[in-house]
Amino acid sequence: MKNGIYRKLAWTGITKNSKLYIPYILTCAGSVMMCYIISFLSVSPTFASVKGGETVQSFLQMGFSVMAVFSLIFLFYTNSFLIRRRKKEFGLYNILGLGKKHLAKVMLIETLIIAGITVSGGLFFGILLSKFAELFMVEILNGNITYTFSVDISSAVKTLVLFLVIFLLLFLNTMRQIHLTNPIQLLNSEHTGEKPPKANWIAAILGTVILAAAYYMAVTIDNPVAAISFFFLAVVMVIVATYLLFIAGSVTLCRILQKNKRYYYKTNHFVSVSSMVYRMKRNGAGLASICILCTMVLVMVSSTVCLYIGAEDSLRNRYPRNINLDVLVNESEFFSDEQTVQAKQLINEVVEENNSEQKSVLEYRTLAFAGMLNGNKIDLDPEAYNTSINMSDIYQVFIVSVSDYNRLMNKNETVSSQEAILYVTKDVEYINSTIQIGECDALKVIKQVDDFADNGVDSMQIFPTMYLFVSDIDTIFQPLKPYAEKNGGEGLLSLHWYYGFDLSCNDETQINIQDQISEKIDLMKQNMGENSLFHFSIEGVAKERADFYGIYAGLFFLGIFLGSVFIFAAVLIIYYKQVSEGYEDESRFEIMQKLGMTKKEIKKSINSQILTVFFLPLLTAGVHLAFAFPLISKILLILGLKNTPLLILTTAACYMVFAVLYMIIYRLTSKSYLTIVSSMKSDI
Amino acid sequence: MSILQVDAVKKIYTTRFGGNQVQALSNISFEAEEGEYIAIMGESGSGKTTLLNILAALDKPTSGSVRLDGKELSKIKESEIAVFRRDNLGFVFQEFNLLDTFSLEDNIYLPLVLSGKTPAEMKKRLQPIAEQLGISDILKKYPYEVSGGQKQRAAVARALITKPRLILADEPTGALDSKSTDELLRLFSEINRNGQTIIMVTHSVKAASHAGRVLFIKDGEVYHQIYRGSCTENELYQKISDTLTILATGGEQI
Repeated sequence: MKNGIYRKLAWTGITKNSKLYIPYILTCAGSVMMCYIISFLSVSPTFASVKGGETVQSFLQMGFSVMAVFSLIFLFYTNSFLIRRRKKEFGLYNILGLGKKHLAKVMLIETLIIAGITVSGGLFFGILLSKFAELFMVEILNGNITYTFSVDISSAVKTLVLFLVIFLLLFLNTMRQIHLTNPIQLLNSEHTGEKPPKANWIAAILGTVILAAAYYMAVTIDNPVAAISFFFLAVVMVIVATYLLFIAGSVTLCRILQKNKRYYYKTNHFVSVSSMVYRMKRNGAGLASICILCTMVLVMVSSTVCLYIGAEDSLRNRYPRNINLDVLVNESEFFSDEQTVQAKQLINEVVEENNSEQKSVLEYRTLAFAGMLNGNKIDLDPEAYNTSINMSDIYQVFIVSVSDYNRLMNKNETVSSQEAILYVTKDVEYINSTIQIGECDALKVIKQVDDFADNGVDSMQIFPTMYLFVSDIDTIFQPLKPYAEKNGGEGLLSLHWYYGFDLSCNDETQINIQDQISEKIDLMKQNMGENSLFHFSIEGVAKERADFYGIYAGLFFLGIFLGSVFIFAAVLIIYYKQVSEGYEDESRFEIMQKLGMTKKEIKKSINSQILTVFFLPLLTAGVHLAFAFPLISKILLILGLKNTPLLILTTAACYMVFAVLYMIIYRLTSKSYLTIVSSMKSDI
Repeated sequence: MSILQVDAVKKIYTTRFGGNQVQALSNISFEAEEGEYIAIMGESGSGKTTLLNILAALDKPTSGSVRLDGKELSKIKESEIAVFRRDNLGFVFQEFNLLDTFSLEDNIYLPLVLSGKTPAEMKKRLQPIAEQLGISDILKKYPYEVSGGQKQRAAVARALITKPRLILADEPTGALDSKSTDELLRLFSEINRNGQTIIMVTHSVKAASHAGRVLFIKDGEVYHQIYRGSCTENELYQKISDTLTILATGGEQI
C-alpha cells in the first residue's frame, strides 16, 4: 500500500509533464534503437557475406562507440533539463513531508518506468527495423538481397547493458541534484533574477575577425594538400568564431540596435530586440552548438552522399580503363617497341578468346618521378627536400612525349628540345615561365593545357600531378639516370609503358580477362629470363569495384546514420529550448497584454523571435557550408572525385532536405511554444 | 462631469467542468466624476477584481453596461480594444508587472512605443513625470536593481505617461512596506489633485482613507459608500474601519 503511493506519484510525475517526457522517452527509445541497429549490422553474417560488407562493418563498429558516447552525453543533457523544470515539484513534495529518501524512491520508480518503456520499445523497433537497415546496406553495396529475419542476442544484450548503465548514471545524477538543494531553493529554482547581459565588444570583434579570416583562407586556398592541413585549423577557427559570435556578437548587435533610438522604439522592434538580448544570452551557447552540429551534419552527409553517388566516377578516375596495364622499367631499352608489340599481341589474343573487343585504347609512355618544386626547379633527391618539408610543394611528375600527347588528345602541337607544354592537376597553377628538372637544362614552358588522359595515379595521391610534354623523353631521362639506379634499381624515377582499354562484357568476364592477361605477361617475363628488367601491374575496374563500394557505401551509410542522429539531437535541443522559453515568456506576454499590446502584436513579436532563434543556426550553417565548399571540393578531389557540379548538387540538395526537415520541426515545436505562451487568457 | 458610468453590471462565470454557474457580480452601479479618486473595498471573493477587470475591458459583463466618456466598452470591436485600453486607461498592479528585460525607462516607454510615438516626444513626456515621482536618477536601472517602492513608482509613471482618462489601480500598496506605501499614497493624492481620475481596488484601510470616496462591495453589490466630505484622513480611516466591522459582523445597513 505504501509503495502504491510512490508508484502513483512517479506515474503522475510522468503523465503530468508529458510535454517534457514524451520527447525524452522518444529520445531514449531512439538511441536504444540506433545502438541496436548499428551493433546488429556490425556483426550480421548476412551482411558480412556481401562483397565489401566487411569493410563497412569495421566502420560500423566505430559507429557503435560514437553512438554510445553520444547517447550518454545527450541523455544527460535532456535529463538535466527535465530535472530543472521539475525541481519546483520536488520542493513542494519536500515541504509536504516527503523526505529526500522518499523522493529518491519516487525518482527510482520513475527512472525504472522510463527505462522499461524505452529499452523495450527501442529494442522492439530496433529489431524490427534492423532488417530494413540490412536490406538497405546490401542494396547500396549492390549485393544479393535475402529475406531471412534474425535477431542478434549479443547486440541486444550489449545495448541493454549500455542503457541500463546510462539510466543508472542519470538516476545518480538526479539524486545528487535533489540532495544538494533545500526545499525553499527547490521551490524557487525557476525564478532567479537575471542581470541584463552586457555587450562584450572584444569577444564580438574577435569572433568576427576569426570568422572572416577562416572564410578568407577557405576561399583563397587552392592547393589540395594545403587544404587538408588547413581544414582542421579552419574547423577549429569556425567553431570558436561561431561560439563567440552567438554568445557575445548577438548580444552586442542587440545593444547596438538599442542604441539606435529610431530603430529601437518601434512596436515591431522594441519588445523583440530587448527580449532577444536575454534570449541570446541564455541560448547563445546552445544555438552555436546547434549551428555547429548542423554544419557537421551537412558537410558529412553531402560529402558522403557525393562520394557514394560519384563512386563510379571515382572508380573511373582511379582506373581510367576497364583493364589497365602498367609496365615499369628502369632502362630506356624497353622503348624499343619489340616487347610492347609482343605484349599487345598477348592481350589481343586473350580478349578475342573471351569473345570481347578492346575499346578506347589508351597507350603511352612516360617517365615518372616525384619531386619538390623549388622556384622553377624540381628537386628529385629526397635528401634535398626532406629537410624542408612543405607538402604543398611536392609534385608527382610525368614526362610524356608530345607525339603521344597529340595522338591521345587529337592535338597538333610542336615542341623543340628546349621547350615543354605543361599541365598541372588539382587546379594548381604553375607560375614560372621555365622549368628545370634536376640537373637538366631548363625548359621553356610554351603553353599550359588543362587536360590529359588520366592514368589513375593522380586520384590516388594528395599531391598534384605535373605533366610535361616534351619532344623526346630520352633527352630528359639520360641526365637523370643516376636517380633511377639509386637503391639498386628501385629508383626514384621510372619509365612506364601504360596500356589500358575498355571492355563491354560483364564484370565476370572482365575479371577473367584480367587474370588471363596477368598470367600471360608473367609468362612472357619469365621467358625473357635475365633481361627482364621490368615489373608490371594490372588492375581492373570490375575486380576493385566491390572494395571501392565497401568503403564509399560504409561512409555513406555512416554519414546518413550519424547525420540523422545529430539532426534528431539538434531538434530535441531546440524543442526543449522552445518549451523552457515558453514557460519563461508566459508571464512576460501576460503583462504586455494587460498593458494594451494586441494579440496580433504579441503573435508577431513571438514569431519574429522564434524565427530568429530557430533559423539563425540554420542560416549560419548554410553560410559556413558555402564557405567550406571550396575546401570540401579540394579534399574530395584528393579522394578522386572531380565532379564539382555533382558536389554542388548534392550539397544543395542536402541543405534543402535539411531545411525542409527543419521547417517541419519548427512548425511542430513552435506550436507547443505558442500553446504555453498563449495559455494567458485567450478570451481577450 | 461624469467620466465613467457603471450601470447594473452583472457577471456570471461558468466553471469549466460541470457547468456550475458562479455569480461574481450581481448588480453594480455607480458613476465616477472627472477628477475623482475612488477606492473600492471589499473582502476576498466580493467581486472587486472582477469589477476592475470589467472596468479595464479585460473582461466583459454578462449584462449591464460600462461607459467611459459615454462610450460603451462592450461595443468596442475586439481588434480595437487593446488600442482603446492603451490610450484611455492606465494600470497600476500589486505585483508592479514591470518587464524584467527592460530598463525602468523602457518599461515606462512601452505603451508609447506601442502607439508609435517618436523617441523625442517620449523623452519630453517622461521628464516631468519622472521628476514628480522622484525616479529621474534610476531610469536606466533594471527592475531587479531597485526596491519595491521604486518599482511601483516606475509602474505609476508608465500608467501616467499616456495621459489616460482613468487610472485603475489594483492593490497598489499590497506588496510595499509601510514607508513606500505612505510615499505612494502621497503621490496618488498629488496626481489626483492635478486632475487625474483614479479608481483603486484595495484591502488596505489606510490606502482607502486617502481617497475621495470609498465604495464597499459585498456579494457582488455595492453595499455602501462613504464620501470624504471635509473629513481628515484619520477621520475617514475611522469611518472605513467602522463600516468594515459592520460588514464583517453582518450588521444591518446603516
